[in-house]
Amino acid sequence: MAKVEPGMEAMIDTYIFETTTLLEQLDEILLRTEKANEFTEEDINEIFRIMHTVKGSSAMMGFENLQMLAHKGEDMFFIIREAPEKMTDVGFVYDLVFQMSDLFKAEIDMIQNDDDYEPTDFSEMIAKLEKGAKMLKGELDETEAAAAPAAGASTAAPAVPEGVDADCTTVRVFFEDGCKMENIRAFMLINNVKELVDDVEIVKYIPEDIESNQDSANVIIDNGFIISFKAPDVKAVLSAIEGSLNVQSYEVIDSNAAEPEEEKAPEPAPAPAAQAEAAPAAQAAPKPAPKPAEKPKPEAAKSSSGGGKQSLISVNLQKLDQLHDIVGEIITTESMVISNPELEGLRLESFTKSARELRKLTDELQDTVMSIRMVPLTGPFQKMNRIVRDMKVKLGKDVELVIEGDTTEVDKSIVDNLNDPLMHLVRNAVDHGIEDTTEERVARGKPAKGTVKLSAMSSSGEVVITISDDGQGIDTDKVIQKAERNGLLTKPVSEYSEREIQNMILLPGFSTNDVVTEYSGRGVGMDVVKSNLSKMGGSLTVESKKGEGTSFIIKIPLTLAIVDGMEIMVGDAEFTVPISVIKESFIVKRDQILNDTRRGEMIMIRGVCYPMLRLNEKFGLPSDVNDIEDGIVLLIESENRGICLFADKLIGEQQVVVKPFPKYLSQYDIKGQGLSGCTIMGDGSISLIIDVNTLIGTR
Amino acid sequence: MDIKELFAKQEEMKRKNLNAKNEKESEITKVLTFFIGDQVYGIEIPMVIEIIGVPHITVVPGIPYYIKGIINVRSKVVPVIDMRSRFGKEEKEYNERTNTIIIEESGVTVGVIVDEVIGVIPVYQKNIANSPDRIGVNDNKFIKYLLEMQDGIKLVLDVAKLIYDGDMFLGEE
Repeated sequence: MAKVEPGMEAMIDTYIFETTTLLEQLDEILLRTEKANEFTEEDINEIFRIMHTVKGSSAMMGFENLQMLAHKGEDMFFIIREAPEKMTDVGFVYDLVFQMSDLFKAEIDMIQNDDDYEPTDFSEMIAKLEKGAKMLKGELDETEAAAAPAAGASTAAPAVPEGVDADCTTVRVFFEDGCKMENIRAFMLINNVKELVDDVEIVKYIPEDIESNQDSANVIIDNGFIISFKAPDVKAVLSAIEGSLNVQSYEVIDSNAAEPEEEKAPEPAPAPAAQAEAAPAAQAAPKPAPKPAEKPKPEAAKSSSGGGKQSLISVNLQKLDQLHDIVGEIITTESMVISNPELEGLRLESFTKSARELRKLTDELQDTVMSIRMVPLTGPFQKMNRIVRDMKVKLGKDVELVIEGDTTEVDKSIVDNLNDPLMHLVRNAVDHGIEDTTEERVARGKPAKGTVKLSAMSSSGEVVITISDDGQGIDTDKVIQKAERNGLLTKPVSEYSEREIQNMILLPGFSTNDVVTEYSGRGVGMDVVKSNLSKMGGSLTVESKKGEGTSFIIKIPLTLAIVDGMEIMVGDAEFTVPISVIKESFIVKRDQILNDTRRGEMIMIRGVCYPMLRLNEKFGLPSDVNDIEDGIVLLIESENRGICLFADKLIGEQQVVVKPFPKYLSQYDIKGQGLSGCTIMGDGSISLIIDVNTLIGTR
Repeated sequence: MDIKELFAKQEEMKRKNLNAKNEKESEITKVLTFFIGDQVYGIEIPMVIEIIGVPHITVVPGIPYYIKGIINVRSKVVPVIDMRSRFGKEEKEYNERTNTIIIEESGVTVGVIVDEVIGVIPVYQKNIANSPDRIGVNDNKFIKYLLEMQDGIKLVLDVAKLIYDGDMFLGEE
């Protein structure tokens, strides 16, 4: 942790937490508005408020550089707030604010983790922000404006190209992100319009040098392509523009023609009522005013989320754990009271009634406490939006992230550990899953825009998260070749099923991509993702169809703290085996047992030979049950390996709350003995939880 | 040297003596005493959480033999150390007098099983025996200090050493 002003040490945690939350909020607003391609007044106020708060708290903590940076951001949004109509070109505002938010996050990270933190010099970014502010004010002079020529033109309120007749219609066209060679596409667009619509007269377009100047592509990316035309049938021209290749959106900047303004709405149309209001408003003011009429919808969404914000408080996780422990204690004590041996044989009608009532309440209490620890997946899912956006820009791929079921709730500790695996898989989907060019996609009959879907749902104690793309799928031939080269095959090539081959990409030492890109293939393979997930008790599988896409399916338990277990007795010790790994339990006959050369016992089940592990011998527990026919055998399987456990008897199924072994015992290798933790049973006794993976490994 | 100075000096001497006397008389701490075999040991009271009997102990594999396993102390899982075993004495069957003292030191909670808890005694500076040759070496590795009381010598244990010293074992019999 960085050193701060004396007396402020205690505040730094709060500062970091608060600022991080605010920055996340900022990102969320930016992403949302970028999608809708407009800022509402509410959004601008919110961003302004965030900047202001960050500035204030940074100043209080003595981080002058951050204070300065936030100040400049605040300045910029102050200008926007005063005159939102000037922000006709929002692209560069987004870039600036995103850059700024990144710098902030990096700096906060350093403050949090660096002992000898040195404030970073932000003067470059500050200069950029100052320039942005000037540009918004329209103060930028010609030389500076050269950097963004049309921006200057468009920020001057009426964006109508000069020398255009009054009865012209002017349209600003945006092409799809990353479609490349925007200038050529603009040229094609003009030809297209001329071809499709008779009697159209293209009066002027900006930039003018699209045929000869490569740089005009950048101008188009930043400011859109502005066309002024005269035509008897404006509607036909507009639909021709809309129908042209790679056109993402267009807006009518200035229309003096007879067509009503309603036509200008390729963007998500506001609710019908709002539209009806919008039409007269827009007609009354020929220049598109700061879009006041479209406000109602976003505002409504806003107020509902705003209401939710206030009903939340943040609680130290430790306190929750404490609460959780106490509730466990109460339940244990409750059963000690109710089934007290001294009450036996007594007729206690009203006592039994009250006891039942108490049981009901404590059950409810336990459920509530459990639910407090549950948080929705919204946080980690929303973060992926940002990653996809950045990759989209960098890789020049047109990809959309679709999020489903992000309100699914899982235990807090799981959410914290999900970020990295999710990020890895999403990056992988965008980088390797989606085809490199839109042409490839179109040739396969898919929409030009790639889709990465992130969905979550819960089913019977598990949360299933799917990351799927509609990209090229896994090339199984390539995979098996690679696996062969890396010596990962354990049987002849012909014996592998498609599913098996696909899942090979999850093996350690496997990476199909030979080329290391910025986003994936940096040596951290899928196997790391898989092992991270299995540490949480989760699993990862792949499903893919060549040419149609790939899905990665993560299954994780709802909570780490609760395990569905089978209780077994060995000697006078009780053990818990997670039900998820138990395939079956059965009693064996002595003649089913095979002995191998090292006196190890084995058993043949349906043609497969499993080693037998006697738990009493393994854990050195004296037991009366030594005859294999007297006890019970559990067949357990994990990660495709199986083993049979021999125990004295089964007690039954129970949900148990996992507790780690006491700190004091961590110096000894209990985990290596095949035990992952312990749990306190209803009667107060302790049961040890068997860790199947290590147990199989030790055999 | 004038008379004033002399007077002040005398006063100071008096005060010093008084302080020294107070120091010897004032109670430093309290110690919980218990038997392990015939010897009386003690643990300073601030370390002690509670004293219970011997509950059901769950055996845990892979730990030293003197750690008998884990117990449930009010929904907390606590490891228990058998002090007889720990000090290399012969183990004996637990009976109704056997006690488990739950102690805590810097966040680590352990239970120690002792033959019998005697009681709590106040400790004054004057009781602490100054015998460095008997402390911290060999058999007395875990001894913080000796208490010389009228009814005999009591060995006060150094709980931190008891918990953290990985090589606590004193030698086999």
